[in-house]
Amino acid sequence: MALRVPVNLRKNLSVVLYAFQGLSILAVIVGIASLFLLPLDEYSRRTYISENALLPGQVHAYFGGSEQNIVRAFRREVDSLGNSTSDVVAERMAEIFRSAGLKVGKQRYSYKAAGGEYSGENVYAVLHAPRGDATEAIVLCAPWRNIDHLLNEGGVALTLALSRYFKRWSLWSKDIIFLISSDARAGPQAWVDAYHDLHGGDIQSLSVKSGAIQGVVVVDYPGAYHRFESLHVIYDGINGQLPNLDLINTAVQISRDQMGLRSELQEMWGHDDGYRHRLRTMLRGMVNQALGHSTGPHSSFIPYHIDAITLATHGDGGWHDEGSLGRTVESVFRSLNNLLEHFHQSFFFYLLMAPKRFVSIGTYLPAAMLLAVGLTLTAIRLWVDPRSRSGGEKKGEKKEEGVVVDGGPKRELFLPMSIVIGVHFCGAIPFAVFNSVDYKSMSSTFNIFVAASLVLPAIISILMTTTIPAHRLLPAFHLSRCFSLLFLGMFLSTLATLNFSLSFLIGLFSLPLMFARTTPDSIPLGLVNSILLLVTSPFAAVFAVAGYWGLGVEDILKEASFGWWVWGMWTPVVVWCVWWPAWVVGLISVDSGLVMGVLGRK
Amino acid sequence: MDRKSLLVIGAGALIRLVLFTAFPSLPTILAQRVEISTPVTSYKRLQEGIYLYTHGVSPYDGGVFHQAPLLLSLFSILPPSTIITNLLYVLADIFSAISLIQIASSGVPTVTPHHVSPRKANSWPPWAIAAAFLFNPFTIATCIARPTIVFTNTIILHSIAAAVNGRRGPAFVSMAMATYLSLYPVLLLPPLLFLTYDSLKATSKPSIQAFSAISMIILSVVLMIYFKLSHLITGSWEFVASTYGVHLLLPDLTPNVGLWWYFFIEMFDSFRAFFLCLFQLHLLIYVPSVCLRLRKQPLFALITLIGISSIFKSYPAIGDTGLYLSLLTLYNHTFSLMRYTFFLAAAILYATFLGPAFYYLWVYAGSGNANFFYAITLVWSISNALIVADAVYATLRDEHETERPELIGKDVVQI
Repeated sequence: MALRVPVNLRKNLSVVLYAFQGLSILAVIVGIASLFLLPLDEYSRRTYISENALLPGQVHAYFGGSEQNIVRAFRREVDSLGNSTSDVVAERMAEIFRSAGLKVGKQRYSYKAAGGEYSGENVYAVLHAPRGDATEAIVLCAPWRNIDHLLNEGGVALTLALSRYFKRWSLWSKDIIFLISSDARAGPQAWVDAYHDLHGGDIQSLSVKSGAIQGVVVVDYPGAYHRFESLHVIYDGINGQLPNLDLINTAVQISRDQMGLRSELQEMWGHDDGYRHRLRTMLRGMVNQALGHSTGPHSSFIPYHIDAITLATHGDGGWHDEGSLGRTVESVFRSLNNLLEHFHQSFFFYLLMAPKRFVSIGTYLPAAMLLAVGLTLTAIRLWVDPRSRSGGEKKGEKKEEGVVVDGGPKRELFLPMSIVIGVHFCGAIPFAVFNSVDYKSMSSTFNIFVAASLVLPAIISILMTTTIPAHRLLPAFHLSRCFSLLFLGMFLSTLATLNFSLSFLIGLFSLPLMFARTTPDSIPLGLVNSILLLVTSPFAAVFAVAGYWGLGVEDILKEASFGWWVWGMWTPVVVWCVWWPAWVVGLISVDSGLVMGVLGRK
Repeated sequence: MDRKSLLVIGAGALIRLVLFTAFPSLPTILAQRVEISTPVTSYKRLQEGIYLYTHGVSPYDGGVFHQAPLLLSLFSILPPSTIITNLLYVLADIFSAISLIQIASSGVPTVTPHHVSPRKANSWPPWAIAAAFLFNPFTIATCIARPTIVFTNTIILHSIAAAVNGRRGPAFVSMAMATYLSLYPVLLLPPLLFLTYDSLKATSKPSIQAFSAISMIILSVVLMIYFKLSHLITGSWEFVASTYGVHLLLPDLTPNVGLWWYFFIEMFDSFRAFFLCLFQLHLLIYVPSVCLRLRKQPLFALITLIGISSIFKSYPAIGDTGLYLSLLTLYNHTFSLMRYTFFLAAAILYATFLGPAFYYLWVYAGSGNANFFYAITLVWSISNALIVADAVYATLRDEHETERPELIGKDVVQI
C-alpha cells in the first residue's frame, strides 16, 4: 500500500514541487528562527563543571603580599625594555628565568605573508614538576606585545613573578612552561609548531621541551595602570575550533566565586544576562568563529588539541590589581594540576551567551543544518521539475523505428555539469592570487577581481544565449542551478560540523541563490534578482567585515593571507572555492535571463 | 580502437601524471587515507614488506604486511624509483580502460544469446565508458594513492574482457590471479563461467557441465602454480595465513569504509567466530541467487556481485566502489529505468565529503568519536546497496519488457 503514494505523486508532479518548495522555505525559516530562540532560558543551559577532578576554587591562593612588590619591580624592568629589539628582550628575560633556577630556551622565527615579514624571538622556561615525570605540561604564556600591539607590562611581569613563586611550591604534578612570546599572533604559532616538530624552515627548533601540553593560560594585562575592573575571557581558536568548556568554566568560576572578579565574554562589557545581551554575545562569538582568525596567543594552541584561553584585563578604574589576577592564575593552575587526563568531559562544540550560560551542539546545529537542507531540497525540486528536461524533439525519429522506448524529453547533463565544475575550479584563482599578492596592491587587485566576477558571468551568459538553441537553454540554466545548490548544500552541511558559524553565515548569505532564477519573461524581476545577488555577494561580505572592524578591505585581505600562511586558516578557501563559485553560477543564470529578455529569445 | 578512445585514454593518463608530478606530496597524503588504503592493499605496508623481504627477513613477521608474495617479487624486481612505480600504476589504469573498451565494443551488455535489450540504441559508445572509468574521482584518487587493489581491478577487468570474447584460457588465468591477489574475486567465478560459456564462438558448444569442469581445472592448476611460486619466493607457507587469513579472520581493525571494523571492535570475543562465519557466508549467499536470476545476462550478474562485495567484504575501499560504478556504466541504457539516480548520487556525494570531515573530527580534532565516522560509512554503504538494488531493478525491468512489450512505460506497483 505504502508504495502506491509515490506512484500517484509522480503523475501529479506539481503537488511534489509545491511540497518541496514549501518544505525548503519552511526549513530556512525554522533554521533562522531557532537561532533567535537559543538565548531563552528554555533552550540554553547553565554551565557546570563536568570534570570532577578540576575542583576549581577549592584551594586557597597565597599569591599576594610581598609577591606584589616583586611584580611591580618586574613591571619596571619590562617598562625599561619597552623599546628594545626582541633579542635584547629575550636575553634579559632568559637571565631572569635563569636566576629563578629554571631551564631556559630561546627561539627565533620569521614568517612571510602578504609582502611583509613577521619575525621575533620567543623565550621560555621550564619548571620541572617535583611530583611529576615530565610527561605532561601546562603553559603560562604572556605575549610581549598583545594583540593590539600594546606592551603587555603587567602580563609579562606577572609571569616572571609567578615563575619564581611557582618554583617554591612542591605540589606540582605537571611541568609548568613559562612562555614569553615576542608578539600575540605569529610568536605563539611558531613556538607551538616547533614544540610538535611541525615548524617550517625559518623557525628555530626548541632546545628544551617537556611533556604533552594539557592546558594553556595566557595573561594579557597591558598598560602602566595597576588597577582593572573585570576579566575578559577570550576563547576562540583558529578555524573556529574552541577549547573544552570545562577550562572556561574553571576560569569563570574561580574569578567570580573565589576572587569576586567579574568575567566578560566577547567584549560585551556590563552584561546584564538579559535576552538582548545574550543574543549579542552569541552573535559576536559566531562572527569570531566564522572568521576563524586568531583572537589572542591562545588561538594557535587549539588546533593541536590543546585547550587554551586568554585572560585579559579590562578597564582601569576598578579595585582589582596584580594580586587578584595572580591569585586567579594561581588557582586556575592548581585546578589544571589536578587534571587526571586530557580535558574530555565537557563540550567542544558550544555557543556561549553569558559567562555562565551556553547551548551545546545538539541544540544549535539544527539551525545551520536546516539552512543546508533548505538548499538541498531546492536542488531536489529543481531536478524533479519537468523544466529540467529538454530534447523532446527526438520523439519523432524514434517512432519511425517501431518501438518507443523511454521516449519523451531527457535531461541534458553535460553542459550544466561542466559549467558548475568549471566555475568551482576557477575558485582556485582568487584564492591563489590573494594569497600571493603583497599588501600594497591588495586593494587594486580586489577591485579588478570584483569587476572580473561581475563581467565574466555576463559574457558567459551572452555567449551561451547566442550559441545554444532556446529550448535547450532554459533547462541548462535550470540544471546548473540545481547542481550548484546541491554542491553548496553538501559543502555547508559538512562545514557545519567543523565550523558551525561559518556554515550558518554563508548559508544565510546564499539564501537568494534559492530564488534567483532565469527569468526571460520579466526583465524587472531579473534586475531585482541580480541586485539581490550583488547585495549578498562574497564581496559584500568582505566589505561588511571591513566595516564591522572599521578597517579597509586591503587589511581584511592581508589578515586572510597572513592567516593562511601562518595559522593555516581555512576561511579563504571556503569563501573562494565554495561560496564564490555558487554565487557566480547564480549570477550566470540571472544574467542570462536578462540577456534573453533583451534579445527577445524565449 | 577509434580516435576518441585513444584521446580519452591519453587524457586519463595525463591527469594522473600531472597529479603525480605537480603535487609530489599528494600520493603520501592519499595513501594514509583509510578510505583508500586498507590493511590488505596499502602501499605503505607494501613498502614495509619489500624492505623486510630485501633484507632477508620474512615479510610477514611483525603482522604489518598482508599482501600476496608475487607483488613483493614484482616490486623488488623494479628499480626502486618513485617515477617507475607511478608509471606502473598509470599503466594499470590504462589497461583497465582498454579492457572496458573491449567489453563495451563486444556488445555483450545489450545483446546476449538469451536477451536482446530493447534499449540497445541508447547505450554509450566505448570511449564514454572508458572516460567514466578514467575520470571517476574515486578511481583517480585510488590510482594516486597506489594501493595494490589497482592491480586486482585491472586483472578482473582483463578477465571479463577475455570472457566476453569467448577466450576461456586468459579469462580463467586472470581470474585465478585476481583471486590469488585479493581472495574475494573467487565469488565472481560462477557468473564468469556463464559469461564465457555464452560468448563461446565455436559452432559446436560443449555441455555446460563439461565446460565448467575443464574451466575449474584450469583455474585450480593455475592457482596451484601461483601458490607454489609464492612458496618458493618466501620460503614458507606463512603467507597463506597472513594474506587470506587476514581477509577471512579480520585481525586488523583499522577503520575503513566497510561495515566490519566497528562491529568487530564492539563485539565480545565469544561471539567473534560466529559472526565472522556469518559475515562471510552472507557474502557467499548472494552468488547462487544473483547468478540464477540474472542467467540471461551473466555480465550483469558479475557486475552486481562486484558491487555487493564492494559493500560487504572485510576490507573494502573506494577503489572497489570505483570499479563497480565504472562497470555499471556499461548498462547505462537501463539507467532511465532506475528510480533514485539523483538521490543516490547526492547521497554518495554527501558521504564522500562528510566522511573525511568526521574522520578529522574523530582522529585529529578530538572533538568527535568513532561513531561519527561509522555513521558515515553506514550512509555510504546504504547508498551503494541502494544503487546495486536499483540497477538490478532496472535490468530486470528491461528483461521483463522484452517479454511483455505491452508493459513499457507502465508503473510498477507492489501489492
